[in-house]
Amino acid sequence: MTMEQLALLFFGWRWQDILDIVFNAYILFRLYVLFRGTNVLRVIMAVVAMWIIGRSANAMGLVITNWVMQGVITLATFIIIIVFRNEISGVVRTRSFGFFLWEIPRTQNNTPVRIITDAVVKLARSKIGALIVIPLKTGVDSIIASGTDINASLSREMLVNIFWPGSPLHDGAAVIQGAKITRAGTILPLSQNRHLASKYGTRHRAALGLTEQSDALVIVVSEERGRVSLVKDNRIHEVRDSDKIETLIKQYTGGHEPVKGMRRQTRELLVAAMVCLLCTTGLWLSFSRGMETLANYDVPIEFMNSDKKMNIIDASASKSRLLISGARPLINALTLDQISIKISLDGTAVGKNKLAITRQNIQLPPGIRLKNIEPDLVEVILDVMAEKRVPVQADFSGKLPDGLIMTSLRVIPETVKITGGGLILDTVTTVFTEKIPLEKLTTSGFVNVALVMSPATLQLDEKHKKVQIQYTISERKRNDDIES
Amino acid sequence: MITKDSNMPEFNARKSFFELSRFLLFCGLVGFLFMPAGVSLADQPRMILANAVVCERISNFRPVNPAVVFSVSQGEVFCFSEFDPVYEKTAIFHNWYKKDKLIFSMRLVLSVPKWSCFSRVQMRDADKGPWRVEIRDQENNILKTLRFSMSD
Repeated sequence: MTMEQLALLFFGWRWQDILDIVFNAYILFRLYVLFRGTNVLRVIMAVVAMWIIGRSANAMGLVITNWVMQGVITLATFIIIIVFRNEISGVVRTRSFGFFLWEIPRTQNNTPVRIITDAVVKLARSKIGALIVIPLKTGVDSIIASGTDINASLSREMLVNIFWPGSPLHDGAAVIQGAKITRAGTILPLSQNRHLASKYGTRHRAALGLTEQSDALVIVVSEERGRVSLVKDNRIHEVRDSDKIETLIKQYTGGHEPVKGMRRQTRELLVAAMVCLLCTTGLWLSFSRGMETLANYDVPIEFMNSDKKMNIIDASASKSRLLISGARPLINALTLDQISIKISLDGTAVGKNKLAITRQNIQLPPGIRLKNIEPDLVEVILDVMAEKRVPVQADFSGKLPDGLIMTSLRVIPETVKITGGGLILDTVTTVFTEKIPLEKLTTSGFVNVALVMSPATLQLDEKHKKVQIQYTISERKRNDDIES
Repeated sequence: MITKDSNMPEFNARKSFFELSRFLLFCGLVGFLFMPAGVSLADQPRMILANAVVCERISNFRPVNPAVVFSVSQGEVFCFSEFDPVYEKTAIFHNWYKKDKLIFSMRLVLSVPKWSCFSRVQMRDADKGPWRVEIRDQENNILKTLRFSMSD
């Protein structure tokens, strides 16, 4: 890409373009915030990557790759909706209106680790089996949909009560999000790991199964041995010292250093915002600067600065066809209001005036380039208003009954005053009436008829819109009468 | 006195010169008075249009059935004009217009002392509409405009 092309890439920006990019970047950023920590985001990223591949394939002329990518993207859209329906509905259900528009959540910082630790220690001492899931970034909504929604405030008693033998929900896992136990009695996917030590039971296998598919922290309390294990990232950490449980939980959830965690999250969000902005800008540039499109528009010609005394009687063209080029989205979004041809009538005179249509006469929105003007010359006939008195002549249609002849007629008034362009008035010598049917005229009489103005730009004096035709009808003289 | 006598013939000569001048001035004035009359005679029309009509036929040098509406089925229409008197040999024009478009023009020569002449046009279906015939003199002055219509 030459420097000229590069300069063209960043030339001709409108404020609407900036708004367009910022607005869409913000939408993208909000989507990221909404689905941050869920698997949906990963899939969306994959779809974006496929789209980029598809575009690149298209640019390189790889027909089948482009075709496949388009198919996969279409399919992926359905897959996202079907596979992640729980996660999507969870996001939609649990988030407030503000969360959709401006709130930025800080994950897991408010989880009361102390309460969880106390409950775990109590359960371990009492040798009560327990399985506690603390979802982190990726979330677990798409993996575990079973169980019972609780949404109860987190307390040591509540946790112990859930896992108390005989309680209805004790046989599954409890999910803790923030300071709430959101769900209990959930079934976790079992790990298929064949190398798992035999000392671990179904609880450990379930915990491992979940961490294989997410970044959640799972706390397992063994029923037989009363041991506490923290399962994270497909690894089981047995905790022998109960004092270390709290520290480890904080370490895994990132809650042990709140200030540092906040900084990390802020940094992550800033990076995400920048990526969103860059992606949108890139997308916008690829749309607006990538595909050059040609289009024809028939644009009306507007005449300006006309002398008030002068009238435009005729113009060789009322529209001019403009061949324009620009990015397809800009061309598609173009409306006729945005294009205009304005020609100044300064310096024109009565009669024919040839006016050139140049690029200076044409207003186009930024980003649109003019290729051709057809016609590029317009002939305008200007005239001053004048008055003229002209005779009126009756115009007849049909046929008089046989044997009758109209020997004379008189028009009242004989002349009328008409107003119009001086040049036109010079050519008008008579004003004609509308057609008077002859069939019904059998005797002398009169009719009132309207006048027909031709050309229509001529105006008739108000009081003479109609004239009276007085006519005399008599019998035709036969040949023998004449001879005598 | 001598001076007085010697001055007598000079006085008579002056008197006769004065009389002659007065006579010439009178003749000039009379001539001047007659001069416009002479010019107006030159401007006098060479003929007077006594009658002009549009008619169906001409029979015995007279117009038959003068009218203002003519059926194209009759085939032709005539413009008859009669000049009385005609002071000198001259020419006139019959200019036929359909609406405002000149369709046909005919030059007709007039002879003294009076003269009648006519022109005619064939009527076709396409000719239906309002027509007029302008009778003009050699100087292109309109002597009369006759308006009529051709109909079915």
